[in-house]
Amino acid sequence: MKRREFLRILGIGGAGTGLGFVLGKVTQTPGAKLIPYLVPPEEIVPGVANWYASMCAECNSGCGIIVRVMEGRAKKIEGNPGHPVSKGGLCVRGQASVQRLYNPDRIKGPLKRRGQRGSGDYAEVTWDEAAAELAKNLSDLRKSGEAGKFYLLTSQLHGHLNQLAANFMSGYGSPNHIQYELFQNRNLLYANQASMGLNTIPHYNIEHTKYLLSFGADFGSTWLSPVNFSKGYGRMRQGEGARGKLVQVEPRISVTGANADEWVPARPGTEAILALGIAYAMVEKGYNRAGDASAWRAALSAYRPKEVAAITDVKEERIFEIAKEFAQTRPSLAIGGEGLSSYENGASGLVAVNVLNHLAGNLGVKGGVLPNPDDPLRAAVDMNKRITALASAAASSKVKALAIYNTNPVFTTPKAAKLEESLKNIPFIVSFSSFMDETTALADLILPANTPLEDWGDGFAEPAAGAPVYTIMQPAVSPVFDTKSLGDILLSLAKSMPGNMGPKLQAQSFAEYVRNGWKELYSKNRAMASGTADFDDFWDKTLQNGGWWSQEPSRRGLSVSTGAASANISNKPAKFDGDEKQFPLYLITYAHPMRLDGRGANLPWLQEIPDPMTSVVWGSWVEINPKTAESLGIKEGDTVSIESPSGRISAHAYLFPGIRPDTVALPLGQGQVYGRYAKDRGENPIGVLPLVENPKTGALALNSTRVKVSVASPTGRMVKMEGSTKELGRGIVKTVSPEEFSKMKKEA
Amino acid sequence: MKKLIVYALTGVISLAIGYWVQQQFFSDRAPVQPINFSHKIHAGVNKIPCQYCHIYAERSRVSGVPNVQRCMGCHKIIKTDSPEIQKVTAYWEKKEPIPWTKVHNLPDYVYFPHKRHVRAGVECTNCHGDVPNMDRITKVSSLQMGWCLTCHTQRNVKNGRDCWTCHK
Amino acid sequence: MAGIFDKVKDTLNSYRTPGYFKKLDHKWTMVVDLDMCNGCGACVAGCYAENNLPVVGKEDCGKSRAFSWLRIERYVDGEYPDVKVKFIPVMCQHCMKAPCEIGCPVYATYHNQDGLNVQVYNRCVGTFTCATYCTYDVRRFNWFSYKWPKPLDQQLNPDVTVREMGVMEKCTFCIQRITAAKDKAKDEGRGVKDGEVLPACCQSCPTNALVFGDLQDPESRVAKMVNNPRKYRLLEELNTDPSVIYLKRVMNDGKSEE
Repeated sequence: MKRREFLRILGIGGAGTGLGFVLGKVTQTPGAKLIPYLVPPEEIVPGVANWYASMCAECNSGCGIIVRVMEGRAKKIEGNPGHPVSKGGLCVRGQASVQRLYNPDRIKGPLKRRGQRGSGDYAEVTWDEAAAELAKNLSDLRKSGEAGKFYLLTSQLHGHLNQLAANFMSGYGSPNHIQYELFQNRNLLYANQASMGLNTIPHYNIEHTKYLLSFGADFGSTWLSPVNFSKGYGRMRQGEGARGKLVQVEPRISVTGANADEWVPARPGTEAILALGIAYAMVEKGYNRAGDASAWRAALSAYRPKEVAAITDVKEERIFEIAKEFAQTRPSLAIGGEGLSSYENGASGLVAVNVLNHLAGNLGVKGGVLPNPDDPLRAAVDMNKRITALASAAASSKVKALAIYNTNPVFTTPKAAKLEESLKNIPFIVSFSSFMDETTALADLILPANTPLEDWGDGFAEPAAGAPVYTIMQPAVSPVFDTKSLGDILLSLAKSMPGNMGPKLQAQSFAEYVRNGWKELYSKNRAMASGTADFDDFWDKTLQNGGWWSQEPSRRGLSVSTGAASANISNKPAKFDGDEKQFPLYLITYAHPMRLDGRGANLPWLQEIPDPMTSVVWGSWVEINPKTAESLGIKEGDTVSIESPSGRISAHAYLFPGIRPDTVALPLGQGQVYGRYAKDRGENPIGVLPLVENPKTGALALNSTRVKVSVASPTGRMVKMEGSTKELGRGIVKTVSPEEFSKMKKEA
Repeated sequence: MKKLIVYALTGVISLAIGYWVQQQFFSDRAPVQPINFSHKIHAGVNKIPCQYCHIYAERSRVSGVPNVQRCMGCHKIIKTDSPEIQKVTAYWEKKEPIPWTKVHNLPDYVYFPHKRHVRAGVECTNCHGDVPNMDRITKVSSLQMGWCLTCHTQRNVKNGRDCWTCHK
Repeated sequence: MAGIFDKVKDTLNSYRTPGYFKKLDHKWTMVVDLDMCNGCGACVAGCYAENNLPVVGKEDCGKSRAFSWLRIERYVDGEYPDVKVKFIPVMCQHCMKAPCEIGCPVYATYHNQDGLNVQVYNRCVGTFTCATYCTYDVRRFNWFSYKWPKPLDQQLNPDVTVREMGVMEKCTFCIQRITAAKDKAKDEGRGVKDGEVLPACCQSCPTNALVFGDLQDPESRVAKMVNNPRKYRLLEELNTDPSVIYLKRVMNDGKSEE
């Protein structure tokens, strides 16, 4: 090396080092800050988690939860181990509700419409301005004597929030509080009321049953109270005594169906007839334990297994087999879920299930159907208050003001209901939604309400666990954005109304309202008072435990009379829209295990966690039997169009042998327009549904049309996480036969 | 061409060396704090125990910065004429916390519980240096993994050399 | 000089030998009863919440970059109408003779004295060797430094590192919960009790299909459950000696593919 070159390198080296030093100095990150508390909150120790007991509000089952909070932030939600409904477990949706709290798409403060309706052009306003605007509109309406033209549209409300809403509406002078959700238990409530005289949903004691006959009840993921039923399912399989058996009747295997010992793919719409055929078989063979055999034989004469077999596509021998096993295995239990109640005659199917339970002697016994105590705050649900009633009132301009909370009917009602067009007739719409959605987009004013983790509330578990379960909801964290509790909004609105709003709206805050309500319950219910010094002591314990519950079972006797049954059952299969030739396939739509009716679609975990049955992520699909697909020339992943007399959507084809060849199935919940995670995820299956509602209950029938499926021009791509659906001889999931298992159990 | 590569390499390497030297040996070990707080007066002269102010050290992974209320507990009466105390009072009256600058900063991937160390009888001065004689807090230990491990080895800590004892 | 080299070489080689850890403090074990598991996916959500797993989106899911440390595999056998569907939750099996440990060039994955197969993020240089050696496909690679849009980041668990680009990660049996339980036990001057440690998946399971405990404690639930005649381990013939024990599903077809 030459001297000159050496010096040059030395120079470069020196300059580089110097530059690096300067760079280091310049880019030096300023020291992190240590921000102390001004006044330390007593219960918070930084670095140590606090747990708050509350109630999950992702569905209506009312699971008790505990929320892990560190330095004022919610970290994780778990089931409350002491709670009789959740028993320490929690489903996917409940765990993801923390992403509802911290969702980046939340509405961050009150908004007032600036542009055209639906244009999404809103101006930020203060709470005072928004509240004044709302109060002005409502008081003007009341002054002009049109209070009855104010409608309140909410999801199913619970406990004291429901009571407060009722008090507000009666104080205001409007009878129109409509509670609407796509998966509401209207048919189930109706069927139990009509056949057993119950005002509440009974407890289905899956835990202790030894033979579970499920008609379309996906109780492991969506139906009624999935966590409670799953806890029961685990104990049924591997608890005390013999292993319980599960028989699932449904046209498409659901998550629960996947675990069944037997799958009975009855023809869609005929499950109720199958249930009655089984009932007839029981009576005919003299298996029935309750009820007068001859009277029932007469009542069920239209359901002889031979004819039922022809209608339902289930062999006669199998009907007798099921009848025998169902009657002779003690205790047994029949349940009817969304799969059954989503038909146009859904309520009668659920009555048929009650008939089965009655005949087998399952009513009121351990391992069967156990009655629940009445909800202390709520009377029977008014079946006439339905979403279509609102649509028609709005269409004929009988609605002057509408308030919406926590429900998205524009997304979940069929096009034929013309809800969106009708709502546009309403001069003033206010939404209390915390998220922009299809319905809230029509609002003139948005006052975002707290999410459940920031809010007070309570609920009386429905269905409870056969004994009273009162669950409290308390704020685990302070509001993340500039939002308020709906209870507080209503209370302060009541105060700003001119004239008398009644004595029941005097509380200063919703928290106080709930506490006063519990005080009243406490003074009336002696069981609550036992073991507590006074109400303050009781209240402390309630907040600590997450509620109050007792073991005291309801003692009401249950039975189904032939008269009540005959009045509600029918031997006609459920109606399906569309001509059989032109639209050859039945369409089944179902609540998705993660997204349910769509409420979970904007929570990223619920998009990213694969669907249990298909492993599809971030998308929508249609399930088709491989044989059907072959005959239609459809391959897995193809974009297909699904056309019914009511509309047409496209989806990706997922080939699944666990569905009847004459049926296709669509999961609900995708196809939303708003939300960064929810939008652009396929099309809304509601778009192909006709408007069919149960005339008695107002429940929308989701399985009510036939469709035709054909290959369409490809759009997007279906992403699924599964590699292969086959084990390919690797013995991954090993099994033993039930016989072998009982031998094992005897040896042990 | 070969020459150019050599020059470029030399440049890059020396740049990195310079950067590292600056970060390693010339970083600010005693940053100026928003209030000229003297540990010497509090912990040294007046012999206030550490945990009188750092109240969480025995209960949590963090020792806790004293809350402003704690400062005001004494300084409502004591030395109210000092300009530094008046700054504290100003923060208190504005209901604002004091934005202290962190001196002993551990990366996110380290699980360091003060609690375990305090309960094992490790003196605060072991890691934080002779605080009772410091006017302004100065970082005396490197807080690097080798430094941790030396102590863990000397004291024969159970599983003290396992990665997941301290990493998370 | 040569002595030091030999010593280093011997030490390194000892880490190459399966079962180099001699005496364990605990042997954490998970028992999965496939007859109780109904495939709902609650455990997966629990894992996402507890372990700061990033959400990667549709595109990256399509490239098999989804992060779930715990997945539920679903197998479908048969033709309509005799269709059998089976679920199995698969997480890191914490093999006692782990192929991944043999592969790693920087010893970023090793067995600790709790019988856990652990991954040291700070050591990992991202060679992907462990993931290719892994028999169960449970290792996940950080292709990017994922970001949480505000305020979703407020949910992040402070007990778990947010991993950065270029490192491998996998199920830890919720080691932070094990540490917390040990910490509490130490405060109270006792050993860890059975049932005190519950990984997020076991905690959330709505059917109680997942049970976790210390196999070395003869009184623990898992120690009793491993005597179940339905016991088997995943791909046991590969001799990886996994710490996750499955109990066979009771099913009508009976004949599993042996």
